[in-house]
Amino acid sequence: MVEQTPVQVFRSQEKMGRFTSPAFYLKIAILAAFIITPFLFPSFKSLDLVLKIMIFAVLVASFDILLGYTGILSFGHVMFFGIGAYSVALLLGKFGEPTYAFLFLGFVIAILVTTALALLISFLSLRVKAIFFAMVTLAIAEFAIILATKLSSFTGGEDGIIMSTPGIFKVSFNMGSFMGVDITGRVITYYFILVICLILFMLMARFIQSPLGRVMQAIRDNEPRAEALGYKTFVFKATSICFGCLVSTIVGGLYVMWVGYANPESVLGVPIMLDVLLMVIIGGMGTLYGALAGAAFLRLAYTFLPDLQSLAQDLLPNLHFVHTMMERWLLIFGILFILVVFFFPKGIIGTIQNYLKTRKAV
Amino acid sequence: MSESIIKNHSRELTIAAAIALYLLPLLGMDMTTYLTLTIAGVAMGMMIFLVASGMSLIFGLMDVINFAHGVCFAWGAYVAFSVFNYFDKLVAADSLLANFMVFLIAVAAAVIVVGIVGIIMERVLIRKVYGSHLFQILITFGGMVVLRELIRIIWGPNDEVMPIPLKFQGNWNIFDIIILKYPIYAILLGLMVFIIIQMVLKRTKLGKIVRAGVENPDMVQAMGHNIFLMFTGVFAVGTALAAIGGLAMAIFSVQVYPDMGDAYLIFAFIVVIIGGLGSITGSLVGALIVGLSYNYVAYLLPPLAVGVNILIMVIILLIKPTGLFAAGK
Amino acid sequence: MTDTLLKVDGIHTFIGQHHILQGVSFEAKTEGVTVLLGRNGAGKSTTLKTIMGLLPAKQGKIVYKGKPIQAKKPHQIARMGIGFVPENMGIFSELTVEENMQVAMLKDDIAAQKRLEDVLQMFTTLKDFWGAKAGILSGGQKQMLAIARAIVNETSLLLIDEPTKGLAPIIIDALIEAINQIKQHSVVLLVEQNFYMASQVGDDFYILDDGMVVHNGRMQDLVEDDELQSRYLGITK
Repeated sequence: MVEQTPVQVFRSQEKMGRFTSPAFYLKIAILAAFIITPFLFPSFKSLDLVLKIMIFAVLVASFDILLGYTGILSFGHVMFFGIGAYSVALLLGKFGEPTYAFLFLGFVIAILVTTALALLISFLSLRVKAIFFAMVTLAIAEFAIILATKLSSFTGGEDGIIMSTPGIFKVSFNMGSFMGVDITGRVITYYFILVICLILFMLMARFIQSPLGRVMQAIRDNEPRAEALGYKTFVFKATSICFGCLVSTIVGGLYVMWVGYANPESVLGVPIMLDVLLMVIIGGMGTLYGALAGAAFLRLAYTFLPDLQSLAQDLLPNLHFVHTMMERWLLIFGILFILVVFFFPKGIIGTIQNYLKTRKAV
Repeated sequence: MSESIIKNHSRELTIAAAIALYLLPLLGMDMTTYLTLTIAGVAMGMMIFLVASGMSLIFGLMDVINFAHGVCFAWGAYVAFSVFNYFDKLVAADSLLANFMVFLIAVAAAVIVVGIVGIIMERVLIRKVYGSHLFQILITFGGMVVLRELIRIIWGPNDEVMPIPLKFQGNWNIFDIIILKYPIYAILLGLMVFIIIQMVLKRTKLGKIVRAGVENPDMVQAMGHNIFLMFTGVFAVGTALAAIGGLAMAIFSVQVYPDMGDAYLIFAFIVVIIGGLGSITGSLVGALIVGLSYNYVAYLLPPLAVGVNILIMVIILLIKPTGLFAAGK
Repeated sequence: MTDTLLKVDGIHTFIGQHHILQGVSFEAKTEGVTVLLGRNGAGKSTTLKTIMGLLPAKQGKIVYKGKPIQAKKPHQIARMGIGFVPENMGIFSELTVEENMQVAMLKDDIAAQKRLEDVLQMFTTLKDFWGAKAGILSGGQKQMLAIARAIVNETSLLLIDEPTKGLAPIIIDALIEAINQIKQHSVVLLVEQNFYMASQVGDDFYILDDGMVVHNGRMQDLVEDDELQSRYLGITK
């Protein structure tokens, strides 16, 4: 038998452990939960919640490709999400009756615009200093918001664009009942988005495991050394940025297919950027699956926070300050964000991973 | 021969070209409009300079990018708003002296309050993340969100009308050219701050130590200077400068609102990228470029007003990635 | 105790994940020049930075004038009378020569002015460039400025990191003269690769290798011992 290199040994061990580890079954269970949700909780509210968790999980994971795996902070990530959303919304909403061709074209245009813009931004700012990337992307993202608001004849201004989806994705479409649940356009859209999200997520997981992804992590940890080893770090970073942004733009298109409208606040604004940042920090930078944890945590919090607010009102009816605080939940999120960055810089999944690792070592 | 002329006089040539470029808008408007826009542009440039210089100074010395800088701008505006409301008699008084007094009180209050906010931020948040840009950005971004929400809690979430001292309103009429009074005051304020910063940096020992620290913080420490105390001080000064900019802007635009700092944070980024991180002169030049371009384009092609500054930033990044006036590093 | 000014005892220093100093111990007497020798990457510069507090020592003790200083901040250490001339000289090139000296001077009284006069007497070329930006100085002049900055305060110990790096031989002779003058007032801890320089000014030596002291003794003995030189320093005659 030929002696194996340490890398090969590591790889084969990893492959052997793939189907036996608890993490694998957990992933299967999560996927199963996503699949059966429409049958267990057919109400729109719960479907909406689960779907948004899914969409944000992929969006946050694509952000994590940049932040956690390449060490680049982009404030323009939500802008690419918005490009996808606006592109699909424009084609479906502005040219009469929506068709499959327009839907497809919407995604194609989004992908082309995103690739061009991501390359341009990388070229401009990566040559200088990584820190410029954050500043340049924030400036351009702000510009995108202003464009979307000001070009009202094209984008619908503050109100945005309202559109419907074609054929089987249409809300009014009904295929009849299956296991007691109406298979409406909503449900079909749900499964369509689930499939695409799954594919995107698997692509990302594959991406970070690929030789390309490993070089990326080497660049994150020690750029001069990666460069000294002969890697053109600029090319790798730009590739990573493009990949992350493409995922983001596709998810943007999917999101708009679900909610049926796109306006500056819902797909471009700072609050969404904050959400994404918070989700990636809570889930854990550089863990990919942390994105799912972070997205689930925050979306659940959003859904149940109003209940908590009224509860606080009942319990402490006279404390005006507490009410103001509760109304300003962004304040609480901001503080939470800082605390998590300070005390759990690795987030939920990262902290668990560390714990398991140390326990194994002992 | 001709090459050497270009090289020797590159600075003069650049300035001449810039002046020519900034006379170009004359083609699209008459002289009076041009003058009005120029004064408004320079005034806006001065306010942006106040924000950007603080940010640039902080980056130069501490290697920290402060994303909460824009919200410090808004805090300055709101503190002045409270001061003006409290001393409403002085604001409404028909006396230049009383008006300037209340203005100075507002400046002092804004500097003190926001300076303290800056000290707290540096001590509590930023001190722990020196050296890691990523965590600095995240932490200061979190700080920004918290400070902005605090504005909403303290002063309410809505837009408010900023009271204007009586003598700051109105205009002078010089040879049929109408010149608004306040922009001139704002320009003078900005120039004064610029001169004070330059004097402190060039003439005082503390300023020299700060400039030395921009180049080599380790060496400054090894010479027996407590650089962390300097960091706190410079951070407080930087945020206080943003506060002065904020109050100047609030009077200029006659309103205050919690998000008012966001646009100025972006302007400040563009300015420090254009002017070069860490250079005060670069901040002034960059701010004037941004302020003037914004006003000309806002008049000629309104939707592109912000776009033109992004375009300038992109061009500068292409031809001189370190900015026009790169500091020591 | 009385005849050691600085005692370094088993210090361990990390840069990132790299374990650079693995228990370095040595001492500098209350007078003379102690030279740290060793090849590139042996940990000589890291030792000086650790003493100065610019890099934290994970383990070990540094005692200066009988007091432990390993937990102190760089500026506190500097104010105890330790001057530092780093490897890259640490010149503030955007500041003038005058401003460089002003930043270095911790006091501004008559005694300090007198010392400034003396220092400029020693490095007369600095006066010619007094108002010029330090960035335009030649390598040798920068080195003079760096040393001048370090001795303009009352220093009992001067840490100098490879002053001869990249300098012409004629300037090295001037430097040797300068250091021989400085050692009249102050103890010098010198990191040096240039053995000629080291042998001309040194009294004691320590040889570092892989973050540890591997040999030490009197400089006189090392100069006479060809075998030792070739073993540790790769010098063959």
